[in-house]
Amino acid sequence: MTNLAWSVIELSSRLLEANEREAVLGDLAESRDTPWQSILGILGLALRRQLLLWKHWRPWLASFGLALPCSLLLMGFSLSISQAYQRILNATIFHGTSITLGPGVALLLSNLVLLLVWSWTGGFVMGSLSRRTVRVSIFLSFLPCVFCLARFRVESLSRFCMLLFLLPAAWGLYRGLRIAQIRLRSAILLALTITFLTIPTWTHKGSWIPNWALSWPAWYLVATAVATSVSKERNRWRTSSSFR
Amino acid sequence: MIGEFEYLLLATAAGLGEKAYGAAIREEIEATTGRRCSIGAMYTTIERLETKGLVRTWMGETTPERGGRAKRMVEVTPTGLQAARDFYNAVMRVSQNASWATAPDRSSL
Repeated sequence: MTNLAWSVIELSSRLLEANEREAVLGDLAESRDTPWQSILGILGLALRRQLLLWKHWRPWLASFGLALPCSLLLMGFSLSISQAYQRILNATIFHGTSITLGPGVALLLSNLVLLLVWSWTGGFVMGSLSRRTVRVSIFLSFLPCVFCLARFRVESLSRFCMLLFLLPAAWGLYRGLRIAQIRLRSAILLALTITFLTIPTWTHKGSWIPNWALSWPAWYLVATAVATSVSKERNRWRTSSSFR
Repeated sequence: MIGEFEYLLLATAAGLGEKAYGAAIREEIEATTGRRCSIGAMYTTIERLETKGLVRTWMGETTPERGGRAKRMVEVTPTGLQAARDFYNAVMRVSQNASWATAPDRSSL
């Protein structure tokens, strides 16, 4: 096998996990397969592995219940915050004589915090729900972004204002991939903060759908934290009762 | 009950004994059946068998002909041996009255 062919094989083997990659590359080095057969073999294995993951509900929920709808909603929310910010800025700098904090500023700040928390929890749950299909989830969350960036033009605002949610979401995703769960207290605090910050929108008709779509990840974190603490408690009880 | 390919894998791994690992199993299956055995099919089946508790795998030694890469060794567990035996017995029972089981194989003559 030529060096170039082997490099392509090694490159395609990056789709596999470290241990499997080691075994597969070793097997291919021993076999009499042609480079093309080897590449097809690796791609076939990677595809089978991906397909097997989709037998569970978690990847579906992470991708189509979270990544796709939430990125669309958060993009809209980012845009509305940017527009509100611009309105307030115009009112205070160009028309007002001094900077005054009106009710619009308080709402803007509350919405900004809400955007941060929604994005962070969304990213966190996306990462923790299904780590091995996270690439698909990321792709699906970028899909609406690319579509909207290419299609929509907002007067007097940069199109990138739609992407305000990306940074906190990426941070949440990173944390979700690393720690998978947060403590019960933090989860409850997060969920209550989100619920409290959505109160101003409760009077608006039709806002409950985006509210729920963006808030369920926080309550999901509470549910998983409760389940973990309950199972820990049970284990502790079993251990202590077995010593008696 | 296990599937046909699962049986092939179990039987080959059991036959190879301590030398059972990815490349050896694949080579043996291809040589015995005359059919191509893809790496994808083999490794996903090994994983499925491991999940069912029918085989045990671990990363083994490295060899120069593998470019210094480790082998994924496979060992059939007692449950795996029983599952393979059940499959074999079922095939033997079901084939008892079949024409190819009673008549001699002319192709091998």
